[in-house]
Amino acid sequence: MSLYLTSEQLTARNRRSQWIAVGLVAFIVVIFLSTFLRMQRNLAERTAQLQAVAEMSR
Amino acid sequence: MTQTPVTSTPTVSTTQPEDFFQLLKPRVMSLVIFTAATGLVVAPGSVNPLVAAIAILCIAVGAGAAGTFNMALEGDTDALMRRTRGRPVAAGRLKKNDAMAFGVVLSVFSVMLLGMNTNWFAAGLLLMTIAYYAVFYTLMLKRRTPQNIVIGGAAGAFPPVIGWAAVTGDAPWQAWLLFLIIFLWTPPHSWALALYSTGDYAKAGIPMMPVARGARSTRLQILLYSLVFVPSAIAPGLVGMGGPLYLAVSILGGLMFLALAVRLWRSRAGDAPDGIGRDGTEVVGREAALYDVRVEAKPARNLFAFSILYLTVLFAALLVESLASFGVA
Repeated sequence: MSLYLTSEQLTARNRRSQWIAVGLVAFIVVIFLSTFLRMQRNLAERTAQLQAVAEMSR
Repeated sequence: MTQTPVTSTPTVSTTQPEDFFQLLKPRVMSLVIFTAATGLVVAPGSVNPLVAAIAILCIAVGAGAAGTFNMALEGDTDALMRRTRGRPVAAGRLKKNDAMAFGVVLSVFSVMLLGMNTNWFAAGLLLMTIAYYAVFYTLMLKRRTPQNIVIGGAAGAFPPVIGWAAVTGDAPWQAWLLFLIIFLWTPPHSWALALYSTGDYAKAGIPMMPVARGARSTRLQILLYSLVFVPSAIAPGLVGMGGPLYLAVSILGGLMFLALAVRLWRSRAGDAPDGIGRDGTEVVGREAALYDVRVEAKPARNLFAFSILYLTVLFAALLVESLASFGVA
């Protein structure tokens, strides 16, 4: 069954879709950044641990 | 693709993105961002600026989710009041269920992201704040007791504590002092507004203090709360959280706040019917309803306006001094 929309409905739907797209992109960017920050933090911790082990074994 | 307009269907709405944005209560959100950022900066320790930005974004979106639930659940009463009848749900531009779904999505993402980026204590505080505002305040308190904004005001006081917790992972007494300032600020601020919106609240059946106890009792309670609020606003300057700038601003502004509260107490604000502007016609629209008031109600409007300025300046002073100390360090 085809759904016919009024121009007002169509414009509103398109604008909502555009903002959903913007929201999704923003969400992806935030998740990417938070993953990157977490990896950075974990790597720093790992390096510190390895240094501590190396100093103890010396 | 050709689109032939035939009939409007009930399944496709004409809701605009602006309607969803309005659900977030952008003005409240800006205050939340500001106070949360202050808590985050004043807290001891350091945090990656990007993590701080994400934390503030999450707190702001969480506050927006709380506002969304509030507007979704209060569409019926909002429609009865001049100040709120243009809101999307009240005006019928957005369905209640759509607003609720939007609120759920925002809540889930803001709490999860805050937990993942900072710590789960801060995320738990954010979740509790959203639930407190949406369930405890909106559903349980607002229509039942004249103390609604006293108890419900706690929801608006949490952002600096969440900001602080995002950095340190706990909430020491200094964070709760920031909470106390906003908590004690809320009654004089909200009741000053209610004094010249009594007709609206009465029409909507909301037992705000001027409706339930009368204007005279409200003016007295505003004065009493102001007497407790001003010392709490000065306290950070005395315990070392704020420096000389904060102390000066809090004392001078506090004296002004008290002077306005005394003037309001001695006035007849709220005694006359509200909703009529200076030119004798009905005031319509949010801005007009906030500031275009009768001569008798001016002391209430003055305290309402100054309370916003005072709180903003207090937190700005804390923020500036903390940032300046980072610069020196």
